[in-house]
Amino acid sequence: MIEIDSLGVELGGRTILQGVSFTAAPGELTAIIGPNGSGKSTLLKAICRDYHYSGTVRLNSIDLARMSPLDAACQRAVLPQSSTLPFPFTVREVVAMGITAGRPGPVGAALRSLPERALARVDLAGFGGRYYGEISGGEQQRVQLARVLCQVWQPVLDGTPRFLFLDEPVSSLDVKHQLMIMDVARHHADAGGGVIAVLHDLNLAAMYADRIVALAHGRTAAFGTPAEVLTDVTIDVVFDAPLRVGLAPPPPIPFVLPQSAQPSALKARVG
Amino acid sequence: MVTSAMLASASAMPGGLAGDRSKLGRLTVISLAVALVAAMVLSMTTGASGASAWSVMASWFGHAPADEAQALRDQAVIYNIRLPRMILGVLIGAGLAVSGLLMQGLFRNPLADPGLVGVSSGSALGAVGIIVLGTTMFAPFTEALGIFALPIAAFGGGLVTTAILYRVATRGGQTAIATMLLAGIAIGALAGAISGVLVYIANDAQLRDLTFWGLGSLAGATWVKIVAAGPIIAIALIVACFLSKGLNALTLGEATAGHLGVPVQRFKIFTILAVAAATGASVAVSGGIGFVGIVVPHLLRLVIGPNHHYLLPATALLGATFLLMADAISRTIVAPAELPIGIVTAAFGGPFFLWILLRRRSAFAW
Repeated sequence: MIEIDSLGVELGGRTILQGVSFTAAPGELTAIIGPNGSGKSTLLKAICRDYHYSGTVRLNSIDLARMSPLDAACQRAVLPQSSTLPFPFTVREVVAMGITAGRPGPVGAALRSLPERALARVDLAGFGGRYYGEISGGEQQRVQLARVLCQVWQPVLDGTPRFLFLDEPVSSLDVKHQLMIMDVARHHADAGGGVIAVLHDLNLAAMYADRIVALAHGRTAAFGTPAEVLTDVTIDVVFDAPLRVGLAPPPPIPFVLPQSAQPSALKARVG
Repeated sequence: MVTSAMLASASAMPGGLAGDRSKLGRLTVISLAVALVAAMVLSMTTGASGASAWSVMASWFGHAPADEAQALRDQAVIYNIRLPRMILGVLIGAGLAVSGLLMQGLFRNPLADPGLVGVSSGSALGAVGIIVLGTTMFAPFTEALGIFALPIAAFGGGLVTTAILYRVATRGGQTAIATMLLAGIAIGALAGAISGVLVYIANDAQLRDLTFWGLGSLAGATWVKIVAAGPIIAIALIVACFLSKGLNALTLGEATAGHLGVPVQRFKIFTILAVAAATGASVAVSGGIGFVGIVVPHLLRLVIGPNHHYLLPATALLGATFLLMADAISRTIVAPAELPIGIVTAAFGGPFFLWILLRRRSAFAW
C-alpha cells in the first residue's frame, strides 16, 4: 500500500504540487493523468525521493523519508522516462543491473537466467547480445522495463507487496507494444504487486487502470475508478478541452479500437 | 602482448548467455594478474647495475654466494633500490589507472581523467606548497605530519580541485561535458599559476627538490616514500573495490542509481575521496605520470565492457603492469642514464590509443 498524504513539492521557489493525497493499493494499477505541466512526473519523482517534498508518503506503512535507499529498492522499482548510457553496455548487462539491486526473489540458476526471461516478457528475446546504444528508442524503453521488472520480479516477496513506478512507460512504443507493456503492468498488479503509472493516453488508462488520479495545476482534481474520473465534466476541467467521453457504438457499424485487443491472443503472438 | 590478443577476441563472447561478458571479465582479470606477476619479476631482475635477483633469492635457501662482496652489493641494489621501486610502481600504476576509472564513472564521461581535468595540477600545487613553504608558513603542518606532510598536502590539493570541479560541472546529477573540461582547464591553469609563483619565490635548495620531484619518475623510490604514500594509495584502492556496484548503477543516471538502492551522496563522497587520495599520493611521490588513467580503462572497456565489477580489478592490474613495463623501458633504454617515465608512458600510450581509436572507432560512438 502506498499512502500519499497532502504531498507538496516546490522547485526553484515555484509550487509544483500542493495537497496531493491518494492511496495506491496492491493488486491495483493506479494511473496518473493530467495535461502537460500538471505535475505528473514531479509527483512520481517525489515519491521516488528525487525531490524534497512536504507531507507524508508511506510505502507499505513505513514512512518513505526514513527508509534507506536499499530498503526502498527492495519494495519498489522505477522506470524513468528515458535513459542514455555513457559507456557501451550490452542489453543483457543493463537488464542484469536490476538483479544486483534490491531483491528479485528467484535464486540460483533461476536468478542467473532472469535477464533472459525479463527480456522475453518485454518481447526482446534474443536482444541480450546487442549494444544498448545501437537499438531503437522504443526498444531501449523496453530494455529499461525489463531491468525494472528484474528488481521486483516476484510481485509479492515474504508477504510484502512490491510496486512498479512507471513514468510514461508507453510513450515511444508502437501500438502492439503499448498494449503488451500495459499487460505486463496489469499482470504485476494481478499477481499481488502494485503499479503506479503516469499515462498520457486516456484510453489506455481507461482500459487498464483500477484507479485514476487526475492532476490539474499541481492539485488532485479527481481520484476514483475510470468510470468515476473519466467524465465529460472532469475531462473538461482537467484538460481544458471540450471532449466527449464515449462508449463503443452499437453494431453493425465496423470500427477498430485498441480496446478490442484480446490479451490472450497478444500473449500467444509474443510467445 | 597479452592485451592485443584479447582485443582481437573482444567481439566474440565466449560461452553462456548472449551479452553476458562476465566469463570474459573473470578470464581477463586472471590473465592480468599473471601478467602483473611477470612484470614484477621482470622489474626485479633487470636494471643498469646488473645485480642478480636470482642470486639473492638463492641465498634465502642457504646457497652460499661465490663472491661475498658482490653478493652484498647485489643485496643492497635489490632490497634498497629495485624492490621499493617495484612496489611503488605497482601502487602508483594501479592508483592512477583506478582514479581515472573512478572519475569517468563519477562524471559519467569517458573523457574524465585526473590529469586532463586539473586534479593532478591541484595535487601538484599541494606538493609544491609543502616543498617551498614547508619550513616557514606550513611549518606546524610539516612538523606534525613528518614524512606524511607531502602526500597529505597533495591529497588535500586533489580533493579541493575534484570537489570544485564536481560542484561547477554537475547540476541536478547531470554533468555538462563542455563545462567539466573547461572548468578543469581553468582550475588546472589556476593551480599551475599559483605553483609558478611558489617556484618563483623558492630558494636554491627548494628548486633542486622541486626539479627532482617534478621529473615524473619512480627513480627516487625509497622505503620512506612507500611508508608515506603507500598506505594512502592502498586505502583508496580498497575503498574503490566497494564502489563497483554504485559505478554501474550511476551509468544509468544519478536518480536511477538511487532507485537501485545506492546511497548516492555517500557514494559520491567516497569516490571523490578515493580519487583525491590515489591521485594525490601518486603525484606526491612520482611528480605526476600522465596517460595511465585514460588509456588503461579505455582499453579494458573495449575488451571486457564497462561492467565495473570486472573493469575495476582489471584496471588496477593493467595499470600496475603498464607502469612497471614503462619503468623497465625508462631504466634500460638509455642505461646507465634514465628516461623520465612520463615520456615512456606518453610515447607508448599515445600512439597505441590513437591506433585503437582508428581501428574501433564505432566502439567509441556510444
